Amino acid sequence: MSEMLPYIAGLLRDVLSGIPHLMPELILACTFIVVILTDLFFKGKDSAATFWLCLTGLTASFAVTLLPSHQSQSGHLIFGNTLFADRLSIVFKQIFYFVILFFAVFVKFSPQFRKHSKGAGDLYILLPVILLGLNLMSMASSLLLIYLSVEMISIASYLMVGYVSGTSRQTEAAMKYVLFGSACSAMMLYGMSLLYAFTGTLNVAEPQFLQRLSQMPSLAGNVAVGLVLVGIGFKLSFVPLHFWSPDVYEGAPTTVTAFLSTGPKIAGFAILVRFTESLSPQGGGMPVFDFQGVLSAVAILSMLAGNFTAVWQDNIKRMLAYSSIGHTGFILMAVIVHSQQGLKPLLFYLLIYAIMNMAAFILAGRIEDQTGAVSIREYKGLGRYMKLEMVCFVVILISLTGLPPLAGFMAKFLVFSSVLENYSVTHSGWLLALLITAAVTTVVSLFYYFKVPLNAFLRQSEGKPVAPVKPDFLSVIILILTSLLLLWGIFPGLIA
Amino acid sequence: MIPLSHFMIISAALFCIGLYAVLSKRSAIMILIGIEFMLNAAILNFVAFSRYDKFAAGGQTFALFAIVLAAAAVAVALAIILNVYGYYKTIDPTQIDQLRD
Repeated sequence: MSEMLPYIAGLLRDVLSGIPHLMPELILACTFIVVILTDLFFKGKDSAATFWLCLTGLTASFAVTLLPSHQSQSGHLIFGNTLFADRLSIVFKQIFYFVILFFAVFVKFSPQFRKHSKGAGDLYILLPVILLGLNLMSMASSLLLIYLSVEMISIASYLMVGYVSGTSRQTEAAMKYVLFGSACSAMMLYGMSLLYAFTGTLNVAEPQFLQRLSQMPSLAGNVAVGLVLVGIGFKLSFVPLHFWSPDVYEGAPTTVTAFLSTGPKIAGFAILVRFTESLSPQGGGMPVFDFQGVLSAVAILSMLAGNFTAVWQDNIKRMLAYSSIGHTGFILMAVIVHSQQGLKPLLFYLLIYAIMNMAAFILAGRIEDQTGAVSIREYKGLGRYMKLEMVCFVVILISLTGLPPLAGFMAKFLVFSSVLENYSVTHSGWLLALLITAAVTTVVSLFYYFKVPLNAFLRQSEGKPVAPVKPDFLSVIILILTSLLLLWGIFPGLIA
Repeated sequence: MIPLSHFMIISAALFCIGLYAVLSKRSAIMILIGIEFMLNAAILNFVAFSRYDKFAAGGQTFALFAIVLAAAAVAVALAIILNVYGYYKTIDPTQIDQLRD
């Protein structure tokens, strides 16, 4: 022990200098403790006190992220090089905050949670932890923090999927999710332990990490990196690891599905970008792992499997689940070319994807709550009774397809053009295959997205008419999200 | 002194046993046990290789975190499996298939 004494002062100084960068996360941790105590002792009606306190904490943490002092300090590693504090993580944190904020409001207005005997109080407790986990995922540079933050999100998500457990399908979804998720994270942990064994360090950003890994036999290195990719791939639900997502998205309460299809997926992309970046050698040299080949194959398969399977789906949540697998493949294209083009197309796509998917699932949930329609066949004639909802839904689906003048088009266009630019320089066969697949699957996606307006507006309902639905606060939010898609589609320059 | 390769062989064997259990067992609890095997294989690697990382002790720290997280995940998984049993009266994942294409 005594040989470590001279280092203690330096270590302490390192920790103290890192604390200002970690203020948003520290606020979230404090909020978590306060919210637990509040929910135990001063619940209020419908856990209202818990809800408002939780929102205050989340917003305070967001406000600190936006402080100019926090922004200017960014751009380096903190806490013994285990966390990145840079521009990228701040952009991701802002996206995560809005995802969690909308999720909280949707839970508040979801009849499924309000009518539940436990109430939604315990779910509000989870929100600060989830945001903490998402933030850490966007900052992590050490294997320990990657694993820790991924597991934080996973365990909270298992709890949320199984929270209501009102029907057998909901428990089934939770069980499939927890078994598949734990198996994938166990594989990721084994991969990490191999990486640690090969390199002697947990820190991915250190030069020693890449240097020692490239000295290992290539098979050993590939197995270890591949196992870590399994864990990340589970969060992204790309193709060989997508089996859980349609079942879980269908079985989970729709509000939770809206979160699952956005928050963890975006955080997974944050980790994937950091991981590929630190494992790609600067200035030539043999790559340890052929990220371009593997990710391209995965992206092509995801786009094909997601979009072609979605055509056969009748359940709206299942269809959206497969469409989100297709979108994952599309976003992976932006990751593959990101080192040359910068991260702008990727971040823009992720932001627009979050808005579109949140809004689409919330509308599906709202229609289910009001009319009981869960399959697209049951949407017949609904356009007459739920005018606002159905018009918004159609706009969002057009945006998901990627047609102008909506933001979905701009997002796809940016990714597509950055890949095309890259192809004109490198003439790589993978990029050409990606471009062709992306174009073909975008056309295919028209067929299933347009089933919704076809049934809602052009076909007559067979059953008894539904009472017209009165607009409420949720309709306002849906309207705002839809108009954002329109606004950013026409003026994409508004996002700095 | 036991050479490090012995630890690696044992942990690889543990991982393969765990993977086999996950893929072949017909009971959710047995699958969880298989997952636990895989986690412990990784933890063994971490502890063994932290011999070369005495100062930062990254492997030892990681092992402690992994043990705690594994316990938390298993607690959640068991609660969910209990709920499933209440509806289906079985915990065989192959028979619980209302959600499918």
